[in-house]
Amino acid sequence: MVAEKIKIINSLGLHARPAAQVVKITTRYDCDVFISRDQMEVNAKSIMGVMMLAAEMNSEIMVKCNGPDEHECLNEIKELIANKFYEE
Amino acid sequence: MKKSLTVNIFFKEVQNELKLKPMTDISFSESRMIERPGLNKPGLALTGYFKDFSWACLQLLSETEISFINDQFSDKNTKDIKKLCDFPVPAFIIISRKKIDQKFLDLCSEKKIPVFRSTKTFNELFETVNNYLDDYFAPSTQIHGTLVDVYGTGLLIMGRSSIGKSEIALDLVERGHRLVADDVVTLQKKDDNVLMGKSGGGYTPFMEIRGLGILNVKEIFGTRAIRMQKRVELVIQLEDWKKEVEYERLGIEDDSIKILDVDLPRIKLPIFPGKNITVIAETIALNLHLKVYGYNAGKEFNKLLLKKMKNQQRLTQYLKKDYE
Repeated sequence: MVAEKIKIINSLGLHARPAAQVVKITTRYDCDVFISRDQMEVNAKSIMGVMMLAAEMNSEIMVKCNGPDEHECLNEIKELIANKFYEE
Repeated sequence: MKKSLTVNIFFKEVQNELKLKPMTDISFSESRMIERPGLNKPGLALTGYFKDFSWACLQLLSETEISFINDQFSDKNTKDIKKLCDFPVPAFIIISRKKIDQKFLDLCSEKKIPVFRSTKTFNELFETVNNYLDDYFAPSTQIHGTLVDVYGTGLLIMGRSSIGKSEIALDLVERGHRLVADDVVTLQKKDDNVLMGKSGGGYTPFMEIRGLGILNVKEIFGTRAIRMQKRVELVIQLEDWKKEVEYERLGIEDDSIKILDVDLPRIKLPIFPGKNITVIAETIALNLHLKVYGYNAGKEFNKLLLKKMKNQQRLTQYLKKDYE
């Protein structure tokens, strides 16, 4: 299992469109992906779950991947968040 | 796709409504073709100006044209009128009680052009003829699919053969919705953005279900189960579920498909065993109602989410270094 804390840096936070992008990535991989924020942990393959985290700008989320392709999956999510979901 | 209509068929369809009376031998109309919708008053053509003359339309003769023709015949100056009659005009329609020179009718008989007289006014004639011809000349196409009226919304279900379109239609009919066409749907464009659909051969109540054969849903479910025609408002594209394909998750961005240049919203629906497409189809119809009225659940949810995140952000900043 790999896990990493990632900071959300786009101004609107993890709203609907970014959440859809996250889910599009995670559903392509075989590994299990969970994202947690404070006490809340959700399955990153479910869009409602990811949106309910309500991770605003400057908040930190913990991404955990567990499975055969965990590294690739985590890297892709990191890249997406680092690029501000290609929104700005 | 170029269409044409024989004057004979046109005459039979509208003669009662327009009170059309043939003034020449009716058999001429069998070989005359209407190649363009609309009516043309051949005013300038009668005077010998034939540039851009709309000969392919029905030719309308009202008071002025008749007076002019009568005058030309009494002056024996009929060169241009003869020239006009050499064009393959479909027919002349006279809408005046004024008497027309018999020599003109003789000329038309000689050239085998049908002439009719109508007792209707110009406006009445114009409306009926245009409605009929626009309908006839409207672009149309046939597609493989199933059209069902679900809660008053025309859903066109498309997808490869034997993916289950007819079964879904049957399920919907069983739940009180109405079948318009199965397998072959004829679509006709009305206006710029309205697409009407009906059964290809006019066999609305008949459908084939694999394993059962041909069914008549009207006989089975009663007359409420069918509908002759319906505007197509949304396309449901059924697809075999593929892991690699990304399906819509939010419903914020709208996919669409162009049929006969009409833009229709399209929903790509992956199917797999155990998925109840019927309920989804009903929900799609109801959700389309909401979207038409301006409500989009995905967008509303996102608004709430954005508001919540903004509040959280404000609160964190306010409480920063607040170690009371």
